[in-house]
Parts: sequence; C-alpha cells; structure tokens
Amino acid sequence: MIQTIIGLALLTLGVFVACVAVIGTYRFHYVLNRMHATALCDTFGLLLSLAGLVVLLGFTWQSAKMVLIVVFMWLASPVMSHLIARAEVLTHTHIEDECEVIPFERRV
Amino acid sequence: MTDSAFVNTYLLGACIVLAVLILLSIVRAIRGSRFTDRIVGVNLVGTMTIIIMCILSVYFQQAFLVDIAILYAMLSFIAIVVLTRLVIVRRRGQEERERAEAAEREAAQKAKEEGSAT
Repeated sequence: MIQTIIGLALLTLGVFVACVAVIGTYRFHYVLNRMHATALCDTFGLLLSLAGLVVLLGFTWQSAKMVLIVVFMWLASPVMSHLIARAEVLTHTHIEDECEVIPFERRV
Repeated sequence: MTDSAFVNTYLLGACIVLAVLILLSIVRAIRGSRFTDRIVGVNLVGTMTIIIMCILSVYFQQAFLVDIAILYAMLSFIAIVVLTRLVIVRRRGQEERERAEAAEREAAQKAKEEGSAT
C-alpha cells in the first residue's frame, strides 16, 4: 500500500514537472530561455516519473531498464542542449540583441 | 500491487495528461519562429513519449515496451545531433569560404597596387 502511494506520488510530481516545462516554452520568448524550461522535463520530469514507476514495479529487469533510460538521458540531454545552443548562436544574425556573447578562441 | 483497478486508472490518466502536453508542444514546434524553436519542441515531444512508453509498459505488464523506450531515447538523441551538426558544419564551411574570398580579394588589390607603382 505504501509502495503504491509513493509510486503514484512520484509519477504525479513527474507529470507536474512536464506541465511546468510546456508552460515555460509558452511563457518565454527566445530559444535559449525556452531551452532552460525544456531541460527541466528532460532531467527532472523523466527522473521523477520513472522513479515512480520503478517504485510501483519493485526490483525487476523492467525497472533496471528504466534506470538505464534515466542514466542515458541524463548523459545525452546536456549534449543536446549544448548543440542546439551552438547552432542557435552560429546562425542568429543579431545574437548581441538577445544576450551577451563572449567571443572565444577558434579551434583549428 | 500494480494490478489493482485504481492504479491502472491513475496510469491511464497520467498518459492522457502527457498526450495533451505532447499536443501543446507540437503546436509550439509549429509556431516557433526559428528552426531551433522547432528542434526544442521535438526534443520535448521525444522525452514525453519516453515517459508515456514506460507508463504503458507498467499498464499492459509488457516488459518489451521499455526496450522500445530505450531505442526511442537513442533515436531522438541521434536525430538532434545530426540536425544541429549539419547546421554547424555548413555554417563553418560558409565562414571559411568567406575568409578565403576576402584573402583572395586582398591579394588581387595588392598586386594591382604594385603594378600601378612600377
């Protein structure tokens, strides 16, 4: 009984965080701000919902695979955010209007 | 514990909420003013699809759906890496071409000045 309650509470928190992420993409007006909101869903929403499902399931291979998904997404999500931000900074013609840009030494 | 009717209804309700959120983020991806807005929207859809697949694997008691969720996570990662990599490489090539053209023009200018001096 306590297992079910904890699992469903964690799942509800995860879905709530996903709601916050989607609302954030509507409230912000620039890509780099929107990425701030979506990173929430990528990391915390996924972790909380899958933790709730793992608590519901108990100790099985299925829950081990869910832990694997969380580990993979936590490793992949920063890389994706970095690449999207880099593409945005490289292609935006007036990036200085949106945010401060510090020029860096170019790699050869 | 997971086969009680209440838990199943709850899981289905969470799935429905996530489906509505996916629809909203698709609208965001369509309305996005720049292409990176669209990529961010697709990224959000991918993450929420993974959550829905895991919830459904608990709902239907089918373990193979989690494997499909792992595959989907890798696929969305690869898709975003390829898309943004393409943009970055193309932009870099364009910058290099511009720099080469500028150097060529400078060399031609210098040659012309030397020719007029002699």
